[in-house]
Amino acid sequence: MAANKQQGSYLTLFWTGATALCAGLAYFTEGFGKLVLVLGLASVAISLVGFMKIKSMEGPTASVAGNATMKLLGLALALGGWFVTVAGLHITASNGGRLIFSLAGICVSLAGVLGVLPMAFGKSMAGKAEPSSFVTAKTSMEHSR
Amino acid sequence: MKKLLRYSCLFLCLLTLGVALGVVAHAQTAAPAAAPAAAPAPPLAPADAQLKDAAGKAPATADLAKGDPGGIITGTINDVPAADSKAGVTLPDVANQVGQNKIAVNFVWTLVTGFLVMFMQAGFAMVESGLCRAKNANHTYMMNFFVYTCGLFSYWILGFAIQMGGAAGNGNLGGLNSLTGEHSLTLFGKTWGLFGSAGLLLSGHTYDVGVMVIFLFEMVFMDTALTIVTGACAERWKFLAFTISSIVMGAITYPLYGNWAWGGGWLAQLGTNVGLGKGYCDFAGSGVVHAVGGITALAVCLIVGPRIGKYNRDGSSNPILGHDVSAVLIGCFILAFGWFGFNPGSTLGASAAGNLRIGTIAVDTMLAGCTGTMGAILYMWSLKGKPDYSMSGNGLLAGLVAITAPSGFVSTAGACIIGLVAGVLVCLSCSFFENTLKVDDPVGAISVHGVNGLWGVLSIGLFADGTSNYGGSWNGVTGSVTGLFYGGDASQLVAQLVGVSTLIGVIFSLSLVINLAIEFLVGQRVSAETELAGLDIPEMGQLGYPEFVLTPVHAMSGD
Repeated sequence: MAANKQQGSYLTLFWTGATALCAGLAYFTEGFGKLVLVLGLASVAISLVGFMKIKSMEGPTASVAGNATMKLLGLALALGGWFVTVAGLHITASNGGRLIFSLAGICVSLAGVLGVLPMAFGKSMAGKAEPSSFVTAKTSMEHSR
Repeated sequence: MKKLLRYSCLFLCLLTLGVALGVVAHAQTAAPAAAPAAAPAPPLAPADAQLKDAAGKAPATADLAKGDPGGIITGTINDVPAADSKAGVTLPDVANQVGQNKIAVNFVWTLVTGFLVMFMQAGFAMVESGLCRAKNANHTYMMNFFVYTCGLFSYWILGFAIQMGGAAGNGNLGGLNSLTGEHSLTLFGKTWGLFGSAGLLLSGHTYDVGVMVIFLFEMVFMDTALTIVTGACAERWKFLAFTISSIVMGAITYPLYGNWAWGGGWLAQLGTNVGLGKGYCDFAGSGVVHAVGGITALAVCLIVGPRIGKYNRDGSSNPILGHDVSAVLIGCFILAFGWFGFNPGSTLGASAAGNLRIGTIAVDTMLAGCTGTMGAILYMWSLKGKPDYSMSGNGLLAGLVAITAPSGFVSTAGACIIGLVAGVLVCLSCSFFENTLKVDDPVGAISVHGVNGLWGVLSIGLFADGTSNYGGSWNGVTGSVTGLFYGGDASQLVAQLVGVSTLIGVIFSLSLVINLAIEFLVGQRVSAETELAGLDIPEMGQLGYPEFVLTPVHAMSGD
């Protein structure tokens, strides 16, 4: 599909809506602030629906759908690591203990971000799990060379 | 075996250089400071009499009319405005003028350094476009051009309020007293700042000269973070998705972490609340700007996926060469120039306690860039056979990124070590992301900004030498920031690690969720057909180089 007029129109609506939403927040205590806020929210919502409508026109992409469960696991690990770090600040008052908790938390987060998520998005299996569109596109490029 | 020997030799060389620099660093701190010779105090006359005497001796208008080629008689007591013209200039008039001069110097300093940082956008555009293929040049330049607008506008309507809406109390810029809208959470008997709210559209009481200065300065920093993502996702990122992602990042993701570190948020309060050193320290933004940008780039890269043709079916990668060496290297120099705004400007003033450290900060900045380049070139030359231009440029940037956080707290030798490590780290990291994780990052932004941003944050906990004194305290904790290698305890290092953990755990997760939502609503990637044709015509309507005949070429092995 590439860039087109519909994208431009919905983006204009999105941006106008977002601006109105923030203006509504800034002047919330005044009467017209609430009205502007509601109008802004409505504009953003309409633009998002519009984006979804035209999304299917893009055509096949070379991206991989990935594994939703593993994505959730990766996210949980990333966030969980941070909880370990923060919990350590309250569990112990010693610098050594907090250092260990911090490092452990970072390791857990890294396991999610660098271990699980790349696999969840299919990149580590790039050679084995390519969708047909990816293979077709790549092959045609190799021919063009 | 030969390869192992070469790796060992290089490692030993770098280790020796590091140790030598470390010895110099300690020698520098060990040297006692010479006490200044005491000057005899002049006899004091009553202030008003002195002022009247000075007014009498000031050059008359007739003298000034003759011109002042030497600059000797311009600027006298006659230029100090008197509240009561009949009484003449009084001591309170002079004191007010001195105060205003201090704020004026700080305003000018902060604004001019902000202008330098703004110019870095040009450097980013050149580096990123130069490292991409010619068929995507227009698209990549346009992303770097438009991200300025997206970021600036979203920061004005929302981002600034979230980040700095509770940052009142900066004496350098006149107090910023209208920024009093920090929202906090009370947990375990302590109050933790979460986000600000004053300053939406710079309206109401935030229509203030000091607030305008801090807005401009913080805005250009935010835009730097946004433009990091455009490089990592270049050559396959849909322009619409890029626009929305940048708007949301400039309005929410970046300002949140900015508030926690710089806006009086919970990371800055780690020192006062739980006794971790001087709280989380990030002088100019290795974490706030670069790591946030690099980590968001990783999140979007995972969603967007690698470029067509980057990886083979067996998982091995193909080099995809950039199209313009001159753009890349000139862009790197523009960035290095802009960094003199980034780091020294982060004092937010040149006239206040401790702010004369701007000279040290500038020298630290240039030295780290120098050793970063050195590290990357020597690494590539020794191990790959060629001083690769893209890694040389990335080495310079990596050194600069890494010194950004510690630049206000470390000695020149410390800066050299930090830059050197960054130069080698960026080479290793680029290879790791490309070959092990299969994350396709055309410009190495994740390694340059993400990995070295984190290294910069950590290095404060190790190399801060305890000599900085910005008004005698940092983040509300009395004393100078001191790292583990300079006699400090581990508490500062732990504060830095908490910051790193927050970046990897919270900011990455937030960026991933936001960009997954954009993927669901808009779609992040262009079609395979568009990608193969090049994004210039389908997305931008025009080729970057319409008169060129584009022919793909392959990289030559260094061995």
